[in-house]
Amino acid sequence: MSTKGVYTALSGAIAQSQRLDTIANNLANVNTPGFKKDQQIFQEYLTANEKPSEVIQVPKIVASVESFYDMQGGDKSYVDSAGTYTDFSQGGLKSTGNPLDVAIDGKGFFEIATPQGIRMTRVGTFSLDGNGQLVTKDGFPVLKSAEGNSDPAERVIKLTGNQVQISDKGEVFDGDQMIAKLSLVEVTNKDSLQKIGQNLYNFKTGFPPELSNVAAPSLKQGFVETSNVNIVQEMTEMIQTTRLFESAQKAINAYDSMNEKMLTLIK
Amino acid sequence: MIKSLNTAATGMQAQQSNMDVIANNLANVSTNGFKKSRAEFEDLLYHNIKEPGQATGMNSITPVGVQTGVGVRTAAITKDFSLGNAVITKNPLDIQIEGPGFFQIRTEDGQVAYTRDGAFKKDPQGRIIDKNGNLFIPEITIPGDASGIEISSSGDVRIIQGLSDVPQTIGQIDIANFINPAGLKAVGKNLFMQTAASGQPVTMRPGLQGTGYLSQGQLETSNVNIVDEMVGMITAQRAYETNSKVVQAADQMMQATNGLR
Repeated sequence: MSTKGVYTALSGAIAQSQRLDTIANNLANVNTPGFKKDQQIFQEYLTANEKPSEVIQVPKIVASVESFYDMQGGDKSYVDSAGTYTDFSQGGLKSTGNPLDVAIDGKGFFEIATPQGIRMTRVGTFSLDGNGQLVTKDGFPVLKSAEGNSDPAERVIKLTGNQVQISDKGEVFDGDQMIAKLSLVEVTNKDSLQKIGQNLYNFKTGFPPELSNVAAPSLKQGFVETSNVNIVQEMTEMIQTTRLFESAQKAINAYDSMNEKMLTLIK
Repeated sequence: MIKSLNTAATGMQAQQSNMDVIANNLANVSTNGFKKSRAEFEDLLYHNIKEPGQATGMNSITPVGVQTGVGVRTAAITKDFSLGNAVITKNPLDIQIEGPGFFQIRTEDGQVAYTRDGAFKKDPQGRIIDKNGNLFIPEITIPGDASGIEISSSGDVRIIQGLSDVPQTIGQIDIANFINPAGLKAVGKNLFMQTAASGQPVTMRPGLQGTGYLSQGQLETSNVNIVDEMVGMITAQRAYETNSKVVQAADQMMQATNGLR
């Protein structure tokens, strides 16, 4: 009987080790521009939910020794990871002086054309490729805003090598001439985004890609948005995680010694 | 937990390469025409542990998915081609490009290399060479009896020869520019090589199409800003330490697991 709870303790230990994975990723990306930290949320998971309501009698009768057997394994509760939430709060702005570094101050994402389709990013450390196209560090073209759903190939921004000026509204000037306006889009439901690496975001499957253009974009040329990871907070959470993990281990140990006691009693 | 160990290791590696770049910048703080670099990072792929909308029990589904990232990597090490400061040397063969553009050099193996370091010399035949003896392009020979060398802002090389008062033009210095200078490959000795990312060089007279004019008797210093680099160094070192703490924490958790039996 006492072995039942050991799995509850185990689920706690697993949850804490999963939480450390997320903390480790946040801390590894403490210097990644535009990185947004993740948080794992946990919830109680009742095995009672696995049974149809007519079988489970848990809340229906007064608790007694007899009613215990009626539960049919529906009396356990585990901890379960409910989801990963990305904290989209603004990171700090760091001056670099590079004319092709553009930081987003406030809402919005840049649109990037990857071979898999259009993706979004907060990172504005752009560069030029050999043809003069404005690209990300991975060589994916940055898109300009366009009316309607036009082809991404026609939305690339091509510069001729003159002095580049990017205004706070996202207008790109090649020399004196305005040639494009950087596309800055806002996602209605931030929970519908998932990270796909390379500082890019994509919509989760099953979520509608709801986008709207940012009405009043605020961009800063010559700046980079830093990661929004707070080291102190992550370190504190890490200490908490290790300690909770140890507590879960202690609980497992306790169950173990209870079992041992039971076995020695029989002997 | 093994995942968080590896994640922290990628973080440490990234900070290490950040430190390597900063160290190289600081080592070249007084190298003429040196352009500083900057390490840039991006997150790695994410593991989808639970897809959103997946059933977790009979009557419950996950509203959002669970994904954990597996770390960071160096996306690029970008060269910053902002201008350095000028230092006056009064040496007639020290030339600074006051704006974008590169001098062209013929390397030993016959390739064209590009440099911003304008400290040139003469070889025994009077030809203009760089510090390592590579010939300047175009080849300019200064006669032995020249009494003064004058290089105009648009690249005309004039000398006064013998008893004549009138300067004679003996050559023209052209500079090369690239659509994406950050795509050039640094090959050491202050030289850069053309790559597919930099685009084709466009050769022109100094001062045309946004390039800089030439300035004789001065050199371009390194564009490394010591304060910036020091701050970057502190950040890198601390981030490295933080990531090592994650390794410790993961280790501690595994120790607790091992202590179970």
